[in-house]
Amino acid sequence: MSWETVIGLEIHAQLSTKSKLFSGGSTKFGAEPNTHVDLIDMGLPGVLPVANKEAFYKAIRFGLATGANINQTSSFDRKNYFYPDLPKGYQITQMTKPIVEKGSIKITVDNSEKIINITRAHLEEDAGKSIHDLFEGETGVDLNRAGTPLLEIVSEPEISNAKEAVAYFKAIRQLVTFLDICDGNMAQGSMRCDVNVSIKKSDDKELGTRAELKNINSFKFIEKAINYEIERQIKVIESGESVVQETRLYDSEKNETRSMRSKEEANDYRYFPCPDLLPVVISNKELQEIKNNLPELPEEKEHRYVKEINLEESEAKIISSSKTMANMFEEASTKTDDAKLVAKWLVGDVSALLNKDNIDIDESNLTSENFGILIERISDSTISGKIAKSVLEEVWKSGSNVDKIIETKGLIQIQDESVLEEIAKKVVESNPSQVTAYKGGKDKLFGFFVGQVMKETQGKANPQTVNDILKNILD
Amino acid sequence: MDKKTVTTISYLSRLKIDDGKEEKITKDLKNIINFVDQLNDVDTSNIEPLTNPLEKTAKSRTDEVTAKNLKKELLKIAPSSNEDYFLVPRVVE
Repeated sequence: MSWETVIGLEIHAQLSTKSKLFSGGSTKFGAEPNTHVDLIDMGLPGVLPVANKEAFYKAIRFGLATGANINQTSSFDRKNYFYPDLPKGYQITQMTKPIVEKGSIKITVDNSEKIINITRAHLEEDAGKSIHDLFEGETGVDLNRAGTPLLEIVSEPEISNAKEAVAYFKAIRQLVTFLDICDGNMAQGSMRCDVNVSIKKSDDKELGTRAELKNINSFKFIEKAINYEIERQIKVIESGESVVQETRLYDSEKNETRSMRSKEEANDYRYFPCPDLLPVVISNKELQEIKNNLPELPEEKEHRYVKEINLEESEAKIISSSKTMANMFEEASTKTDDAKLVAKWLVGDVSALLNKDNIDIDESNLTSENFGILIERISDSTISGKIAKSVLEEVWKSGSNVDKIIETKGLIQIQDESVLEEIAKKVVESNPSQVTAYKGGKDKLFGFFVGQVMKETQGKANPQTVNDILKNILD
Repeated sequence: MDKKTVTTISYLSRLKIDDGKEEKITKDLKNIINFVDQLNDVDTSNIEPLTNPLEKTAKSRTDEVTAKNLKKELLKIAPSSNEDYFLVPRVVE
């Protein structure tokens, strides 16, 4: 009998509001410690939290985009636990009436599609940050992050393996960035996920006991942590013991998961309605307005690129896979009549560089503006395609402005045909034996002459023009 | 409600019960719960749960940063802090 894996994900997406969920504190990342802390974030006596409407609007966009139910009346509860980076001793969250319920999202793994249902997506506040390794015998607490709005997106336990889990996380990340509700930056912790993993015999109806893997923040680690955990649980059960329901921490250096909490400290969060906050109501008008202003989603973009711009399906898929790339495509397309050329560069050279460095387009030095200039210079024949490749490589390394690179390196394509004719004549004169061989029927040698002219001009000649000129001289 | 539950709750809420008082507190809590339990006699199956006794809905904020940098003042009122952080006894090994 084989083992079957059942996985559910809880994704925390930091909503890209300017201020916190219940206070006017700033949510900006990377500030000096404890400079973005309001009295409400501190949980000082006598303060009253007031909900940030924008966080609701952003959560609703997610709900609409996943075909979910929107609870126009939603309320807040307290989740009680003690930890130094949670100043109030409770986290305000939505337990009983979340803003979003029952949505779904499509994932693609190895070319086959699967729908993953989303149980709920609720608003809650983030905790602060504990710094354990900076001070002898003490933990430092930075409350800048305390109170930042999070959307916790909970999937049904319908994910069957590590690959699907990664595909699901990627699909959610793609969606929230397209919706402009979260920047998707995993390195800065804007998206984190907890993974619930259990195993069962394939004919068992009931789910096995699950372990929760906490706070994983990269695609690679999701996959590794799940695969490690599946192996561990199989070993535990096959040795006659049983899996304990617990929280485990994934250690990426050792590639293992470890139990995080001792058994006697069983979790009991004693949820109850937050008496400080009244139910928040979203009017029909507000809801309609959010509906009307939903941006174009990845799948819609993909279809439009194929139908209206005639891109290949594979090209459209790659370009619409990230918001940044889709923006680059659309902006650069305004600089040329040839949108297919833009697609060719993104899917070809740019994607190749991304794969080589194993990075995301957001992490590269290439900006939308600079890419637009590059396309413009190819389109108006300032530079040849070959030179453009080397310019792109230079941008990739330094992030310098395309026009500046072209100017300082003197890469402008030689337009003057008389100059090219001069060079071509010289090449022909200095290679008499090749000329004889070519005229004697060795057609392939034509490429040799083109190559020589390109070499003389350091690639700055338009190959088509060189072809024409050489044909004139030789034939 | 038994002695074990009382010990668990007191741990979770970080409230210390004086030695020898567990019995009395358990008994008192039992009485309180029995009293409140009378509410369960009312049939509420067709009634929406109440999240707040005020029949009002929340006012909300627009998304603006209004907080000032209170770092110095806030760190000063903490039992222990340095120039950047609140300090607490180390919470991990």
